[in-house]
Amino acid sequence: MLSKKWALLLAAVIVTSLILAACAPATPQVVEKVVKETVVVEKEKTVAVEKEVVVTPTPKPEEELITLNWNFGTEPPTLDPALAEDTTSVDVIESLFLGLTAFDPEGNVKGELATEWTTNEAGDVYTFKMRQDAKWVKYNPGTKQVEEIGPVTAHDVVYGIKRTLDPRTASGYAYVLYIIKGGEALNTADTEALSEEELQALIDGVGVKAVDDYTVEITLEHPAGYFPGIAGMWVARPMPKDAIEAHGERWIEPGFIVTNGPYMLAEWVHDSHLVLLKNPLYYDAANVQIEKIYGVMVVEASTAMAMYENNELDTTAPPLEDMDRIKADPVLSKELHIGPYPCTYYYGFTTDKPPVDNKLVRRALSAAIDRKSLIENVLKGGQLPANTFTTIGMFGSAAQDPDIAPWALDYTLGLQKAKEWMAEAGYPDGKGFPEIILMHNTSEGHKKIAEAIAAMWKEALGISVKIENQEWKVYLNTISKKTPVEQMPHVWRLGWCADYPDANNWLNEVFHPDKRNDIRWNNREFAEIVEKAEVSQDPAERKALYKRAEQILVDEEAAIAPIYYYTTVNLTKPWLQRNYFGLGGQDFFNWKIDWAAKKAALGK
Amino acid sequence: MSTVKTTTANQLQFANRKERSPWGDAWRALLKNRLAVASGIFIIILIFIAVFAKYIAPYPYDKGNLVDNYALPGPKYLLGADFLGRDILSRTIYGAQVSLAVGFVGAFVSLLIGMTYGLISGYSSTRVDNLMMRFVDFLYAMPILIFVILLQVYFKAVARTGVGGPFLQTLVAIDNKMGGMFFIFIAIGMLNWLGMARIMRGQVLSLKRKEFIEAARSIGASDMRIIFRHLFPNALGPCIVAETLAIPGYISTEAFLSFLGLGVNAPRPSWGIMISEGYVGLRSYPHLLLAPAVALTLTILAFNFLGDGLRDAFDPRLRGQ
Amino acid sequence: MAKYIIRRLLWGIPVLFFVTLVVFILVRFLPGGPFDFAGEKQLPPSVVKNLEAKYHLNDPLWKQFVDYLWNVVRGDLGPSFRYRNRTVNDIIAEGLPVSAQLGMLAMLIAIGIGIPLGIIAALRQNTIVDYLATFFAIVGVSIPAIVMGPLLIWIFALKLQWFPVSRWGAQPPYFLGFLPKPDITFWRHAILPAFTLGTGLSASIARLTRASLLQVIREDYIRTARAKGLAERLVIFRHALKNSMIPVVTILGPMFAAVLTGTFVVEQIFAIPGLGKHFVTSIGNRDYPIILGTTLLYGVAIVIANLLVDIVYAWLDPRIRFD
Repeated sequence: MLSKKWALLLAAVIVTSLILAACAPATPQVVEKVVKETVVVEKEKTVAVEKEVVVTPTPKPEEELITLNWNFGTEPPTLDPALAEDTTSVDVIESLFLGLTAFDPEGNVKGELATEWTTNEAGDVYTFKMRQDAKWVKYNPGTKQVEEIGPVTAHDVVYGIKRTLDPRTASGYAYVLYIIKGGEALNTADTEALSEEELQALIDGVGVKAVDDYTVEITLEHPAGYFPGIAGMWVARPMPKDAIEAHGERWIEPGFIVTNGPYMLAEWVHDSHLVLLKNPLYYDAANVQIEKIYGVMVVEASTAMAMYENNELDTTAPPLEDMDRIKADPVLSKELHIGPYPCTYYYGFTTDKPPVDNKLVRRALSAAIDRKSLIENVLKGGQLPANTFTTIGMFGSAAQDPDIAPWALDYTLGLQKAKEWMAEAGYPDGKGFPEIILMHNTSEGHKKIAEAIAAMWKEALGISVKIENQEWKVYLNTISKKTPVEQMPHVWRLGWCADYPDANNWLNEVFHPDKRNDIRWNNREFAEIVEKAEVSQDPAERKALYKRAEQILVDEEAAIAPIYYYTTVNLTKPWLQRNYFGLGGQDFFNWKIDWAAKKAALGK
Repeated sequence: MSTVKTTTANQLQFANRKERSPWGDAWRALLKNRLAVASGIFIIILIFIAVFAKYIAPYPYDKGNLVDNYALPGPKYLLGADFLGRDILSRTIYGAQVSLAVGFVGAFVSLLIGMTYGLISGYSSTRVDNLMMRFVDFLYAMPILIFVILLQVYFKAVARTGVGGPFLQTLVAIDNKMGGMFFIFIAIGMLNWLGMARIMRGQVLSLKRKEFIEAARSIGASDMRIIFRHLFPNALGPCIVAETLAIPGYISTEAFLSFLGLGVNAPRPSWGIMISEGYVGLRSYPHLLLAPAVALTLTILAFNFLGDGLRDAFDPRLRGQ
Repeated sequence: MAKYIIRRLLWGIPVLFFVTLVVFILVRFLPGGPFDFAGEKQLPPSVVKNLEAKYHLNDPLWKQFVDYLWNVVRGDLGPSFRYRNRTVNDIIAEGLPVSAQLGMLAMLIAIGIGIPLGIIAALRQNTIVDYLATFFAIVGVSIPAIVMGPLLIWIFALKLQWFPVSRWGAQPPYFLGFLPKPDITFWRHAILPAFTLGTGLSASIARLTRASLLQVIREDYIRTARAKGLAERLVIFRHALKNSMIPVVTILGPMFAAVLTGTFVVEQIFAIPGLGKHFVTSIGNRDYPIILGTTLLYGVAIVIANLLVDIVYAWLDPRIRFD
């Protein structure tokens, strides 16, 4: 019965698409509506009736589509929102799956699937009202058609969150959702020891429920003002239950994947490229201008740079070795854009290892880093010198506040202070100071910074520094709390990037003595401040608390030496209008291309 | 050559000339090859430069002036400066230390193990030969990178904790002197003797059925005599050529490891490190690459010409030509 | 001969077994596990526990090894830890054909340049021709691929616009599982990387050909052939060349195996979706199944290549027998 309908439908589609191709209208056309009976035989034995729409998304010939040539930089390890842990995957997921909330290009939380949200008085129950025009779609690469699967509902949100938290899913980022009531209990459950019923009880116990088809209620373990930001994270997104259950691990391959975002996955040649096509059924499709994204996976920065210059990419992050040439080039210099990126580069001290167990030594080392010179001469990417850990743009950031470590921003002052402190610590001009080990993970960029800073220390303080590097995973293990102190390097590098734009994600999650705390630091005053700030509902009070915490961390105790706030350095062709904000993936759907200009440049 | 009628005769005659050692003959033959002599002298000069880098280089290798980053060649820096404003000429001079060390340590280890192993394997019974070659197959299939990372991890941990007794600590001290590459050289040599062993075995297999060997056997020469008097000198040629070819291989392995970030510890320079630091900026600052790449090419050429000369010199049939 | 081949292939099984065993143990000695960090972020132990449970990393080591072997015997190389939705079988099936295409072209170039250069150098030994041939052969190998690649891109893609900057011009499905459609797109993309890789390999071939040919030319039978008045060209090509190929073939075998299974640097610089990167990045990612799968694949390639080398030996030199 079904196949006959399909045959009819196909015929209709082919005929229509031929006609459509002939008159080539700019907007996608809905071809036919069919009512299909889908019998879902589940435990509840319900019979769902769905509306189905099949659409030819792109009546234009392929080469006429407004196309963005993008470099993902690497193969995305997954496109499954529950499993993604890295920026490349998130960049793609951002185009494929909608969240309850999203960040706008300025970094503010706004509604995406959620039209509005409210909290209860205590601040621990959030109710999200969802829009009703978001749809699940499936792109068929064989027929090049789009199939509408059904509306995106509150049940999909509930399924998505519970799927991420289910220990059998083994999601690396599941812990982000531990703030949801019962989330941690479910995710840490020992599935082998539990019966089916007990596990189900834990799943049911997660504080997320569909009040009706378009209203989600999420109960938290404790009040958290930053929760709307988390509610939009990829691990909390609605996920397509039927597709996941039908195809298992392979559900994210083209032809299987069911998505609801502004783009659909049309092609994925692993390690080579993937193609995203505009979703004609996306509720805001009228405002999505770019119709096709051809995303390559070029790892080598110099190759990507050559592709950009050859008009094979519309935008790229240039290697720093080419920065001087770009700045001097009349064309490239106009195409250069430097913007903030929510990460901080820092050196951590092993605070229980002599001689850096002495806070005077740590302060001296931090102050003797000429951050401005490092940025101008080595990094060349317009980075900003850092005097705090929490970067610019985060709630509670005190970046560039002169009350905190002013010597980090002014090297003349820093040099003078550094010498004083070293002398005070008993090592005037570095006399009697043992050789210290500065370690970085193997990478050309980190090596350059380490060599530059080691030379600064040698010059300013008269101390000798041995630079070592280790392969990434070895390195992360070395600098962890487990390593015996005698095997620790004295100083080591790390970076930290925002998961959500709040100082809690920085100061509390990284340096609280009971949390990661690679610096082996046990400052109770700091701990109390960040604990208090986490639960406080008063924005002014939270800001003040975080400022005080930074003062202790960076200035008074100098447990870390923040070095610079990252920037995103990009070259963009004049025909592309894009955003550069780095939180939560690339927003291709907001970008615009002057197609006539691009075609002219390509010589077509 | 025209005076010698057949190989067999040559071999017998050769064996009887007690007053002139084969090595002495080789030496005299080598001296006649001008290009090989020039290459040898070049390599000796290079060794000299590496040993006395401290006195030759205009600047220390780690001394930089940030403002001079990527400075073009000029009176201050003859070959320009790198990203930290360090003199490229000085770094290239110091770089010879690591690059030559990789070449020699790797070559020595692999020649020693590989030739012995190949000789024994090729000369032994088919069964032993088979077993020994399967072991080579087994080592061939091992991923070298895992060993390199393991060695680095292990010896750096040893270095920092100070355990492991005086012997290990001496090794660690040598390793420190060589910028953390000593164990990697050893690893490189140990993994490259395989090719040498196969070449040696192939030579021996082919040679041992030759008339002159059978002739030697028929006049009652011992195994030892056959191996060292006949097989070894005759098989040496291809092995030395292969080894001079392998030395560039070791030097490029060092460059490859540097590319992966597993090279010498900063700030110590090697040509491999300098190339992997420079290649990204090829189009903006070609001078970063020029000095180390030219040094690398010349060194490799010299090893090759010297290798050719040695080969010709060791081939008894070529003498007196 | 058939008996010999079968015996050699059977010998390959214990070789591969020990390789698997040793690598299986070694990778577990590497500090750091596959799931302890996501980027720079440390994952909490509870999450790591779930991941380890999913991939049975909490089983005893011997059981993991036995399970792995059993799966390998059934043709299943396991899931990738890093590419969460792909299996090692998928990754090899996608990457190997591309690497093999590049590798075969590079070998053709290497042999095409190396053997003629070697012959010319040997025939004109110690003349300027010899030195020039040596020089060209050496320059190829002494310029590392990380320099040669960007240089070729700069000249031939950016300046002259003859070729695209990077990437691969063939896509599945392939003919016979690995042969690309030899259209203009394929060739335009393939030439620069194949040349970069091929020139790096040609030097060893040229040098070895020269050395070996020089030796063979002085053999009795060659002199006999010459004495009989055979044309020089005929002597060289009919008799000497064939015999001089023994040492060359010795290195060609493993070289072929290594190049066909992927080369990291060339694939990275030209953004070619081959298998080469997985040999390297899987170690950094502690992606145990990919490390083991690629090692095993490489092992199989080596076993087969060495078997072929020995067979070619017998053909080149009938005095070598296998009994």
